[in-house]
Amino acid sequence: MIEVRNLQKQFGAVAALRDVSFLAPDSAITGLLGANGAGKSTTLRTICGVLKPGGGEIRIDGASPADDPVLFKRRVGGLLDHAGLYSRLTPREIFTFSGRLHGIPSRQLRERVEEVIAFLGMQPLTGRRTAGFSQGERMKTALGRALVHSPKNLLLDEPTNGLDVPSVRALRLLLERTRAAGACIVFSSHVLEEVRALCDRVVVLAQGRVVAEGAPAELCRRAGVRTLEDAFVAFTGTAEVLSC
Amino acid sequence: MLSTPSQKLTDGMRRHLLTGRPWGPAPIGATTVREWSSRDTRPYLRNHVLSQLVTIAGREMTDNWRDRRGLLSAAVYTLMGPAVVWLVSLALRDPGRQGESQPVLIAMMSVFTMVSAFIGGMNVAMDSIAGERERRSLLPLLMHPVTRLDLLLGKGLAVAAFSLAALTVNVLGFAVLLARMPPWHIALCLVPLSLLAAALQIWISTVCRGIKEANTYLSMLIFLPMGLGMFMVFSPVAGRVWWNYVPVAGQQLQLEAGLRGGELDIWRLLFLTLATVFLAGLALAAAAHRLERDDVVYGG
Repeated sequence: MIEVRNLQKQFGAVAALRDVSFLAPDSAITGLLGANGAGKSTTLRTICGVLKPGGGEIRIDGASPADDPVLFKRRVGGLLDHAGLYSRLTPREIFTFSGRLHGIPSRQLRERVEEVIAFLGMQPLTGRRTAGFSQGERMKTALGRALVHSPKNLLLDEPTNGLDVPSVRALRLLLERTRAAGACIVFSSHVLEEVRALCDRVVVLAQGRVVAEGAPAELCRRAGVRTLEDAFVAFTGTAEVLSC
Repeated sequence: MLSTPSQKLTDGMRRHLLTGRPWGPAPIGATTVREWSSRDTRPYLRNHVLSQLVTIAGREMTDNWRDRRGLLSAAVYTLMGPAVVWLVSLALRDPGRQGESQPVLIAMMSVFTMVSAFIGGMNVAMDSIAGERERRSLLPLLMHPVTRLDLLLGKGLAVAAFSLAALTVNVLGFAVLLARMPPWHIALCLVPLSLLAAALQIWISTVCRGIKEANTYLSMLIFLPMGLGMFMVFSPVAGRVWWNYVPVAGQQLQLEAGLRGGELDIWRLLFLTLATVFLAGLALAAAAHRLERDDVVYGG
């Protein structure tokens, strides 16, 4: 379970996060919805401990990064950028590297890596270096790296960017299975259809603030509209008109 | 295209999915990975900082070992010194002048050796932080439970290993040319020098946003041993004793003395080693400080 209270983050003169508070429960997918620059990626990077918050509080399963910032990172797995792979290493080597850094003993790590490979259906890819992988294969490898230490909390930053339709469907299936196993998943996107299809709860961000929070149907009801897109526009006030 | 995830669930995965137990595809022995990842493993991690450093260094070394073009260019630059000195010695092969030319040749050798310390690990240093930023793998790396200083120490070890390998090949090349092995104390010059070169290069790499930029600045860094080396060869001021205690210059003077077959002052070497390692530590601390900045994480 991830709890975020009054989270703030400043980059120089730019206030990326002004006041972000939400609760992401276990066995649920929580969607962070917002326009470009709303603060979705900054929120996720701050939760996983890569960025230091300017203010506010983060708790993951009751633990705070202030207690032990290094060990705090073991509680989360993240797919924050699936471009970031080592092109001269194979997926198996990448998973093993990640597992070792998480402190999993060698014998258990070998078993664990094989399980992740089987779980993601990556057997044909494990002997190949990642250079030349397709977007979908890269995403799978990055997801495997995030899962190798079996985190209970999973952060995904626009994971479907650049994926084709079958890959998006496969990812959706994976996330549903992961949720069914009890994971807390926080998922950022600006694709409303994706959020509606996957998320149990939605947190709408605008200019670094949470402007609405609840189940997709509940947000539509509160905004008095029929679609999530209309609700999003109503809450964020970001209706843009392109004139020809 | 991404294929549909494997439907072949292991027994452990099925148990987790059916029973709704916390996430973790399979149990490992009596302890599930889920339990492993959430229990207090502070003592384990503290005891295994060294193991993490070795893991990081090992990843860097494996990755760069597979970069054959990078290895080839480092090998060419490393062997360039012995090749150039050999060609010059051929040109000076005049029986009447051999006694005069050998000190100049040995001075040239020491300059080339200093330069090879900075060339041997240059590709690895470029790839270490600037390369991670360029391929956007720094962010996933920082998500691991490793401090940024440990991360840099691991990467520094890999760069130093390549640098030390280049230094060793270079000195062995000169030993073949001179037909005699330098004294073992030479190692006390080479090891700290490789550490200093690695730390300075890692520091510069943290400042750069990509490999191209890192290549520009790290190439400029080579002027440090080159310029200082030429100064030490030709300047009359270089004969003063205190130069022996200045990192890089001191190592060059000691190396020159070793290649000439002279005696090396072990206490002087130890002081020089401490001063050089201290300087390397400062460079790594500066790099760690730099790595704490938000713009490094964002790659901007």
